[in-house]
Amino acid sequence: MRKTNLVPALLAFTTLFPKTVFAIQRFPKPEFESAYTQPQTQIPLPRGEFMAYLDVAVLLIALSVVTWLVLKKRSRLWVFAMSIFSLGYFGFYREGCVCSIGAIQNVSLALFDSTFVLPLSVILFFILPLLFTLFFGRTFCAAVCPFGAIQDLFAFKPQALGSRLNTVLGIIPYLYLGLAVLFAATGTDFIICRYDPFVGIFRFTASFGMFLFTGILLLSGIFIARPYCRFLCPYGVLLNWTSRFSRSHLTITPKECIQCRLCENSCPYDAIDIPVTTKSPESSPVMVKKMMMMVLIVPVLVIAFGYAGSRMQDTLAGVDPRVKLAKEVLSGMRDAGSGMRDAGYKMQDAGYKMQDAGYKMRDAGYKMRDAGYKMRDESFEIKAFKASGKTESQVYSEASAVLKKFYIGGWLFGGFIGLAIALMIGGRMLPVYRADYVTNKGRCFSCARCVDYCPVKS
Amino acid sequence: MKTGKSPQNTIRLLENISLGSAVFAVVLCVLIIVNFIQIKRADPLNTPAMTALIEKLQSDPGNEQLSQEIQTLDLLARKAFFTAQWQVRTGGYLLFISILLLVSCFKAIELISVKLPKEPAGKPPMFWETRILKRQWLVYSGASLLALTLLLAWLTHKDLGKDLGSGKIQDAGYRMRDDVSPTPNPQSPTPNSQSQIPNSQPQIPNSQPPIPAWQEVQANFPCFRGPGGIGITACTGIPTSWDGKSGKNIKWKTAIPLPGYNSPVIWGDKIFLSGASETKREVYCLDAVSGKILWNSPVEKIPGSPSQAPGVSKETGQAAPSLTTDGQRVYAIFANGDLIALDLDGNPVWSKNLGVPANHYGHSSSLMMYRDILIIQYDQRGAPAVIGLSGKTGEQVWKTARNVKISWASPSLINTGNRMELILAAEPSVASYDPLTGKELWSIDCISGEVGPSLAYAAGIVFSVNEYSTLSAVRIADPPKVLWENNEYLSDVPSPVATDKYLFLVTSYGTAVCYDAVAGTKYWEHDFGNPVYSSPMLAEGKIYIMDKKGMMNIIKADKEFSLLSQCPLGEGSFCTPAFTNGHIFLRGDRNLYCVEK
Repeated sequence: MRKTNLVPALLAFTTLFPKTVFAIQRFPKPEFESAYTQPQTQIPLPRGEFMAYLDVAVLLIALSVVTWLVLKKRSRLWVFAMSIFSLGYFGFYREGCVCSIGAIQNVSLALFDSTFVLPLSVILFFILPLLFTLFFGRTFCAAVCPFGAIQDLFAFKPQALGSRLNTVLGIIPYLYLGLAVLFAATGTDFIICRYDPFVGIFRFTASFGMFLFTGILLLSGIFIARPYCRFLCPYGVLLNWTSRFSRSHLTITPKECIQCRLCENSCPYDAIDIPVTTKSPESSPVMVKKMMMMVLIVPVLVIAFGYAGSRMQDTLAGVDPRVKLAKEVLSGMRDAGSGMRDAGYKMQDAGYKMQDAGYKMRDAGYKMRDAGYKMRDESFEIKAFKASGKTESQVYSEASAVLKKFYIGGWLFGGFIGLAIALMIGGRMLPVYRADYVTNKGRCFSCARCVDYCPVKS
Repeated sequence: MKTGKSPQNTIRLLENISLGSAVFAVVLCVLIIVNFIQIKRADPLNTPAMTALIEKLQSDPGNEQLSQEIQTLDLLARKAFFTAQWQVRTGGYLLFISILLLVSCFKAIELISVKLPKEPAGKPPMFWETRILKRQWLVYSGASLLALTLLLAWLTHKDLGKDLGSGKIQDAGYRMRDDVSPTPNPQSPTPNSQSQIPNSQPQIPNSQPPIPAWQEVQANFPCFRGPGGIGITACTGIPTSWDGKSGKNIKWKTAIPLPGYNSPVIWGDKIFLSGASETKREVYCLDAVSGKILWNSPVEKIPGSPSQAPGVSKETGQAAPSLTTDGQRVYAIFANGDLIALDLDGNPVWSKNLGVPANHYGHSSSLMMYRDILIIQYDQRGAPAVIGLSGKTGEQVWKTARNVKISWASPSLINTGNRMELILAAEPSVASYDPLTGKELWSIDCISGEVGPSLAYAAGIVFSVNEYSTLSAVRIADPPKVLWENNEYLSDVPSPVATDKYLFLVTSYGTAVCYDAVAGTKYWEHDFGNPVYSSPMLAEGKIYIMDKKGMMNIIKADKEFSLLSQCPLGEGSFCTPAFTNGHIFLRGDRNLYCVEK
């Protein structure tokens, strides 16, 4: 590993380390003398200190074994076997938690909120796959991540998606990552966990909607291999970046490529780059001009997207429970309810005056009035607020502070998306030359499927 | 890479197993979805059969067989519900196993029937062309995303920051208003000192209709037992002779559609009453000049209102609490906890249900208005409290929990000379609260039992009374002090009334007693012979005592007993009279009467 790669990794680790503690249950449940069994309200239950480190140890061992299987053993069959183990352990046994993907949010919140306690095991779950990826490519995706493993099971008839669709859908993970970090950093929500399509399956607790979404995702995975990993996974963005710097990445052939083209369509993830031995049809001066224009456009894109993100401040902050409460306290709901009810009464009166048609109007009036009453009913949040003894001013102040965070966060989030798109465009302007078929280090999941297609054996 | 002949038989077997698993999985999936929808729709505790049985039981509470039947049905419904849940859960496990089997078979087939990769037909993809295409698509996608974000931002931007800022200013405004202290009044308080109730009205940031001045409040009769609810009116020219039957001095008489023991309240030329049966609740507004019912507003479809009226005693009824008004709105509360604010034209402004009060005789505490705060004494079993709501919106301004038992008394609002105090009575105490914030100011244990009578107040002394308890005179001081106590004559419904010198008490069985307000010495007693539920009122130095049979006994408010006149209404009456200059308004069992001089 190069020193330049080690420094940021160590820096991140040492920054986060002082905030770490072990995950323990702070408020033990009361014990009853009767035979009453308390229902499990938290899924999965918090792990004891030892068990949390056992999980980390299993992760470390799994990463090491898979890396060895991918790079040394070069065996798709064994990689597949390991993915079954990971699915069983990290998926069904550990019920999808703690996971490296969700750890993004814990780390983000810990970076922006000094009061948030980040367990060391969570940090390790976040960092270890990235470290392995930095050295050996995305072996974590190959057979350690239970999300990838479950999708891999369904990839029976993968079809090429086409470059256009692949490119456009490739923007989504950046959006998801940006939003996840924004919501976590502002203390609003952990959206990756809330909308995780697989934990419901691992825990057998999926809501109907989520069950449907997961079903669609897995069924579509028969034809579009690993749709979540490719077009949603926010952690995949980080792994993609780190993997580009990996030195010992999986190669299709163990020796020299013989240009047989047998591997050309072997990757279900469109992660094999074909040889490029011809020059770009665009002349060098044109390309240079375009590149220079791109350099100028980057800040424009960053600012434009940043501005758009900041303008989404109200909408994004609307997700935050503190802002929701403030809005409700601000009597939006109450007034709307009263207004609708009054409108209902007016319609009702009009209905009385008219005969046949009037009855219909009166009924409509009742409906509107009822809707008004429903809207006016106090939510649990309002009741809780009233019981808390907080003043309205305090609620507004808290919401204003959140709103401010979202203004700054909106700029950063938008800027990040603008930069990502600019770099994606710019990256496709750089000159390319390669003589052989190679894996695309960023996109390749190191699943070792292509290895089986190569007639050259070590 | 593996090569060789695939074992066809194994593959066929695996294909058959996978087909069977697939069919099983699809069937299970459909069944789970159907079962899930059924669970979602099912409400095992509110089935029509169960509701019908519960209704039956309510009309026949002693029916043991019916009770057993309900328990059996309830158990069955719960069993059905949990069985359906078990089915979904078990189905989920079976679905998981079948999918696992299906996937395993497919994977096994994939492993067994490995085919040699074929060289792709045609030339490799055109790299540069594809790359340019990708670049173009990225530009299109980026531009679309930017446009979409800006459009969304434009459509959804609400200037929330400004709203929150203005909300803070408004809240601060309300706090300023609430924090203003009344001007201290060094004068010794008298019954008329109620007219000195401070009414300093700070500027409220938003443009609301002004809170009526105290002079305006006093010129009206805005609540039970007159302004402040202490049984004293400043009205003059009050008639002392009438006969409801013959029509002597009766200006008009109007039948009230629904029964109610609430007393009339008056603002300007409008009289407000309410009436209720077990199925209907109504608020009435009558023209004080003609007696015509100007409007009749049904109180219905209030969110949270119980489908059935609570069980109450006949002597309380469903509409015992008197209404209150601030000249902008009139407020009414009923035995089922329904609370409504109507404008003076009868249009609902807001309404809510406070929850059915756990009160075995039925809720009877009348409403009180101070400035723009509607005050409700909600001394029910379990969670007794006094509540202050915004008259404009019905939002809770304050709520103070009370450590008392159930009470049927109404709040009184007094000016102690230094401040306005809200005084409430319920076992075990007489307690004072700041009417703007609900903060308890003082409390003294001096009353017990099921408190019905409200308080009297004069010259800095609060008088409390209850049957099987005691009559107490409490001097408001720091700390409050019991001046004297007496338990010879007690009341369980009518409230006492006091002047600077005397306290007048009427017992429920019809004996009137006069005490020295400061010393507690009894001056006289007189038995009218008929029970009394109406509270006596003090007007122009006279005490007006209406008995249950409708006879108004008018006596001099003096230490010598002097019966000035007796005026029959012609029908029974439980209600306390209301006054305007030159008029008395009397609610009988069926009619409202206007008496003029």
